[in-house]
Amino acid sequence: MSGIASKLQHDREKSHGIGSNSHAVKYLNQDFESLRRSCLERGQLFQDDSFEALPSSLGYKDLGPNSSKVRGITWKRPKELCSNPQFIVENATRTDICQGALGDCWLLAAIASLTLNKEVLSRVVPHDQSFEEKYAGIFHFEFWQFGEWVDVVVDDRLPTKDGELLFVHSAEGSEFWSALLEKAYAKINGCYEALSGGSTTEGFEDFTGGIAERHELKNADPRLFKIIKKALERGSLLGCSIDITSASDSEAVTYRKLVKGHAYSVTGAEQVDYRGDQVQLIRIRNPWGQVEWNGAWSDRSSEWRYVSDGDRKRLTNRCEDGEFWMSFSDFLRQYSRLEICNLTPDALTGDEFKKWAESEFEETWRRGVSAGGCRNFPDSFWMNPQFVIKLEEVDDDPEDGEEGCTFIVGLMQKNRRRMRKMGQDMETIGFAIYELPDEYSGQRQVHLKRNFFVRNCSAARSETFINLREVSNHFCLPPGEYLIVPSTFEPNKNGDFYVRVFSEKQTAFQEIDDPVACHVEKIDIDEDDISDRFKRLFGQLAGHDVEISAFELQKILNRVVVKREDIKTSGFSLTTCHHMVNLLDKDGSGKLGLVEFKILWTKIEKFLDVYKEKDANQSGCMNSSEMRMAVEEIGFSLNTALHQIILARYSEEDLTIDFDSFVCSMIRLESLFNIFNTLEKNGSGEIELGFMEWLNLAML
Amino acid sequence: FQSSDPPPPRRPLNFAESHENDEEKQFRRVFQQLAGEDMEVSPVELMNILNKVLGKHGGLKTDGFSIESCRSMVAVMDSDRTGKLGFHEFKYMWNNIKKWQAVYLKYDADSSGTISADELPKAFNAAGFPLNDQLYKLIIRRYSDEHGSMDFDNFIGCLVRLDAMCRAFKTLDKENKGTIDLDIKEWLQLTMYS
Repeated sequence: MSGIASKLQHDREKSHGIGSNSHAVKYLNQDFESLRRSCLERGQLFQDDSFEALPSSLGYKDLGPNSSKVRGITWKRPKELCSNPQFIVENATRTDICQGALGDCWLLAAIASLTLNKEVLSRVVPHDQSFEEKYAGIFHFEFWQFGEWVDVVVDDRLPTKDGELLFVHSAEGSEFWSALLEKAYAKINGCYEALSGGSTTEGFEDFTGGIAERHELKNADPRLFKIIKKALERGSLLGCSIDITSASDSEAVTYRKLVKGHAYSVTGAEQVDYRGDQVQLIRIRNPWGQVEWNGAWSDRSSEWRYVSDGDRKRLTNRCEDGEFWMSFSDFLRQYSRLEICNLTPDALTGDEFKKWAESEFEETWRRGVSAGGCRNFPDSFWMNPQFVIKLEEVDDDPEDGEEGCTFIVGLMQKNRRRMRKMGQDMETIGFAIYELPDEYSGQRQVHLKRNFFVRNCSAARSETFINLREVSNHFCLPPGEYLIVPSTFEPNKNGDFYVRVFSEKQTAFQEIDDPVACHVEKIDIDEDDISDRFKRLFGQLAGHDVEISAFELQKILNRVVVKREDIKTSGFSLTTCHHMVNLLDKDGSGKLGLVEFKILWTKIEKFLDVYKEKDANQSGCMNSSEMRMAVEEIGFSLNTALHQIILARYSEEDLTIDFDSFVCSMIRLESLFNIFNTLEKNGSGEIELGFMEWLNLAML
Repeated sequence: FQSSDPPPPRRPLNFAESHENDEEKQFRRVFQQLAGEDMEVSPVELMNILNKVLGKHGGLKTDGFSIESCRSMVAVMDSDRTGKLGFHEFKYMWNNIKKWQAVYLKYDADSSGTISADELPKAFNAAGFPLNDQLYKLIIRRYSDEHGSMDFDNFIGCLVRLDAMCRAFKTLDKENKGTIDLDIKEWLQLTMYS
């Protein structure tokens, strides 16, 4: 609510590493340690007043306050439910997670895979908490949310019905980490019901900060085997499953002993010499720890007799542990889907894994300025935020003939699940990638305009435009510089997004935007340059004090513009006139003398010329793209954020800008550049302001 | 004098709903009607709301809130450059306006219906903004009429902005150094959007 300042402060903190896993942001400023301490001192159990044990925390529709489903629900603490509750027993295992009355199996599947990677699990579920030592009814969890790690506190009152947990519970009923985790995740999403329906990859990402990819195995990427191998080398989480066609299919076992509608993990990929042929094999694990595939390449199959002794020794392990090999071609036939979650470098300690290089940006689409829509809309597509990635080094792939640089682009829309309650759902999003021709090489300060996109074809693009939280795709392109343009499908859809690139080699990923600068020409006028006619006019207007105040100025200007039919205006406001006087008043009188007035007049004439010239459709006002051209013509170079601000501050409801608003914004910009330049400390690029100084300038 | 603390971060919507008293619930319903489906208020909508509600009040001299003033009020409260206010921002502003309206009536010592130049420092002080002479002068020049009197809409417009600018400083001066450093991009974003 502190306006733009809060956004700027957020950016500053982010650049100082706040929001990384080791410096998680405290959700709603709630600090686990100090809350727990104060509860212990007071001898009270924590009651979270920002996510209360009330119906509104459950849901808004199916789980809404008056729905039949929530009847009879009471909130209970684990100690009221069983005599000896445990937070986490030994290690977290998949049986700790049984689905309750909520359609969040996607989340539970993600939590289940989480239990397979201890390192990742311990980041989400800090182990410094229990029902014995320092117990105060408070627990905390860490989630990754749109580029930053957030530490979320909850009290341990859980919704129950007839003495049983309503939502997630452990098989034994005495272990509570999963139920509390679900509660914390519901808290950041607004309520439990907001978790209903989603994809496992969403959960994967919020627990790891990684980029997830989905591969439909029916039309598998021809490079998929290589992608899997690389993912395993990089410690990624890999899950695969077989689709079910009906609910009764769920966990049905096929005659080949594969379980439908069940989440498996992929744990290995190898190539072996088999009767003179190279065969690709994949190793899969059933998290039950039993029930294994019994087809070709399974534990006791004959295929293993025809591979080298070394391979056989290295790869086979004939016991019923849930893990088995199968040929990659069988895998593609038997399974429906593979999900890979690529981890960030900081998620992996130890040297056994190769690490992705990662870089990221937060940006916004705003109506009329930077929400340009997809390539179907050439008049506005160029207005979308633009990013450049420079691929220099090709992958290390000795066995592979094609040279290229592998990278993954993920485009994510922010905060949509939280807004769902208000009826908003996902926008349809995607991105396009263009190869930058040599003449643009190394340039980062030029936002590319319409013509570039009309003349050049995209080199690659997201597979689809889709209304998911994230669109991500794998690419392998020759070295060079590429432009990435994320967009909504249709223009003029407001949205906040987060775009990141994971690359095999270090790459430079940058946003390109126009520099912020002022090249407005100073108008130098002497009293002698002014015609007698103008002097007489000034004499009449200024009256006996021979100066023009903001109040007089307002009357004069409005008398002039009101007569014109070629420009739209609602009349100059007093504020605009104050700004004009402030810009030109050199002697601090608060009024304009002859020369100052002449300079202003010259400026307004120039504004009028530019305004008319850029009003291509002769509507009498500037639409958003005409405005962008006009701002440049006057002599300003602005970045996307500032273009957004001008439109948000000065446009009418239909996003057009009329003449007085145009003049006001230009005058104000010039003043603000002047003030900055005056105060700038010897070319440091910064100004330092005390509180009163700030108010003096900000209240002008 | 110390600027006020930035308000706490937004709580989830359901928190607000479950904690509203009847007056607030009523207010939310009115807001929903006025703001339309997107639950956000544009400057024109804000102008209509303010003029409708405050126009009825006797004892306040005002020529009505101008669109310019409403654009400025939306700008200083908006943090995501959409040009609109959400319910939380609007409620925060509304509570302040109610507070400041009482100050306005109390400090209009001569019951002229406006705050004159010599009534202004006391009124601002009472509203929580003890400023120095230089700033009072600047504010009178910028927000009062030719005779130095400030009518109700200008009084509110000025205080909304002053309050926001104080909070902006506090937000950026997180370590309480007493100064803030700004580069040109930050400077322009903060001041252009006001």
